Amino acid sequence: MESGKPGRSIARRVTGILGVLVGGILLAAVACAPWGEERRIEPGGKPPVHLLGVGASFPYPLYSKWIEEYRKFNPHVNIDYQSIGSSGGINNILRGTVDFAGSDAPMTDEQLARAPAPIFHLPSVAGAVAITYNLPGVDKDLKLTPQVLADIFLGNITEWRDPELTSLNPELDLPDMGITVVRRSDGSGTTKIFTEYLSKVSPVWAERVGTGTSVEWPTGIGGKGNEGVAGTIKQIPGSIGYVEMAYATQNGLPRALIQNRAGRFVGPTLETTTAAAAGAAVQMLEDMRVSLTDAPGEDSYPIAGYTYLLVYRDQHNQRRGEALAHFLWWALHDGQEHARELLYAPLPDNVVKMAEAKIKEINYKGQPFIE
Amino acid sequence: MVSRGLKRKLWNRFMLALTVVATAAALVPLASILYYVAVRGLPALNLDFFTKLPAAVGEPGGGLANAILGTIILVLLAGAMAVPVGILTGIYLAEFGRGRLAWTVRFLCDVLTGVPSIIVGIVVYSTVVLTMKRFSALAGGIALAIIMIPLVARTTEEILRLVPQSLREASLALGATRVRTVRSVVLRSAMGGIITGVMLATARIAGETAPLLFTALNSRYWPGGLTDHIASLPVYIFTYSTTPYEELHRLAWGAALILVVMVLTTSIAARLAARRLNGGR
Repeated sequence: MESGKPGRSIARRVTGILGVLVGGILLAAVACAPWGEERRIEPGGKPPVHLLGVGASFPYPLYSKWIEEYRKFNPHVNIDYQSIGSSGGINNILRGTVDFAGSDAPMTDEQLARAPAPIFHLPSVAGAVAITYNLPGVDKDLKLTPQVLADIFLGNITEWRDPELTSLNPELDLPDMGITVVRRSDGSGTTKIFTEYLSKVSPVWAERVGTGTSVEWPTGIGGKGNEGVAGTIKQIPGSIGYVEMAYATQNGLPRALIQNRAGRFVGPTLETTTAAAAGAAVQMLEDMRVSLTDAPGEDSYPIAGYTYLLVYRDQHNQRRGEALAHFLWWALHDGQEHARELLYAPLPDNVVKMAEAKIKEINYKGQPFIE
Repeated sequence: MVSRGLKRKLWNRFMLALTVVATAAALVPLASILYYVAVRGLPALNLDFFTKLPAAVGEPGGGLANAILGTIILVLLAGAMAVPVGILTGIYLAEFGRGRLAWTVRFLCDVLTGVPSIIVGIVVYSTVVLTMKRFSALAGGIALAIIMIPLVARTTEEILRLVPQSLREASLALGATRVRTVRSVVLRSAMGGIITGVMLATARIAGETAPLLFTALNSRYWPGGLTDHIASLPVYIFTYSTTPYEELHRLAWGAALILVVMVLTTSIAARLAARRLNGGR
């Protein structure tokens, strides 16, 4: 049956296929070749430095802004930050696939123990969680104590005319309505901060629900993302929920005043969030890991948290390490101004000082980049 | 008799109406997606969108040119890897494969088609990205290729099976070898169908987000080398749509519109190519 020259035919087929394969790869390689302004070698003769960071989505808009601004006066440093979530950031810095990572929660001791070398936590900015609501006819800010807030989210207080609420807000005409709790259905750093706060102020919450990026809620309905929660609250009169402060401010949502540890009722603003950061600085560990929820201080808003940049102390590439250290230094100082524009709370001065000391420890073969 | 004929006619009308309604119902989601994406996406499109890099929040005039280029590069890379492998597998299955090995290959292809794309992403992350210690266009291309291979292989096999057995017999009877028969007779007459299959598989992977998140990652710069992380439209849509900024949502809609247009163009081109190549018959 096989009477021709199958050997030659197969050889030609194989050459043809190899041709397609090589051609395709060449095509892709050409397409990927040095492209546009970003790749141009600087007049000084040095190629640009590339830095990559991944992690938390909460600070993504701010970090993009920082990168853009930093390039304006340091154009040979190309930094990139991609939001893939805090846990993705921690995993990738541990595995050495990135130069730095972003995380809303500090790394746990167990995670730090897995790191091949010392990792620094540098707080970059702080954020807060706003309690928002839909109460027809109420035009002043609602006041809540930690206990009442916890009871609402536990499902123990179910009516807006509950004596607990009316005695707290005698000047408000609270409607005769049931309370509908709205919370996040997706995993979220916002939920983490909020549940951490409730766990601190309510032993019942700590025992029954606990802290986490997503928890078993005792009551309420879920919405996806800040926009999902806000949208649901807008539709249901008598509802209450929590969203990121920047989101609440930008969309003009009402924000409840929460009683802080000093006994004052405080709303979520940049100032009160920074105040919480300053108040918590006294409890800050040497490695800068700290919780901002229920922070001490007259003006501290109690439901707040840092977002962190994670970097290795000992850098293995001199030029990249140097670029990274200088960018961090810039972010800590000039970067803080841009934070305010985008509704992130800047770091208090005492924390900037502590972070400066850390950046000065970042080194290449024992030689620090910033003296 | 008359009433029976009438009954049949009515029944016929009724069933016809039912199929028309069902067809309309099937088209409604497609039409509404196209309409909605166009309405939301068109306002975001301007020259900057196609020529500029992304800008930071609050700065006007950013585009997603790098993501458009990145998506094209990733799809080409995946195609360069998956098309030869897929087509050869398809040829093996249709023409040469017998017995247990062919059965196993076919079964594995079907299993691979059903694997959620995020799993493919995680596997490539732990094998390619962690080994190279960096996110890369190459890793993204490999992840997309893994999704594409079984699609190409199975469509190729199905198309080759449609080639009449008598053609093969005629070719063999004239003294051609089996390899020659496959190349000159079977492949030639099935070429239109194979190209359609490849282009449909391409359209399918162009919109994948999950396998790219942990492999090609994303980038705010122009594509670098094969070993650099690279921007893509789906990942930008994902990232931008989850931020609280209206401006970034607008860009995400623009990116969605471009992606839909790219996929639609590929699908339509596939149909046209198939029609032209099969034109004689």
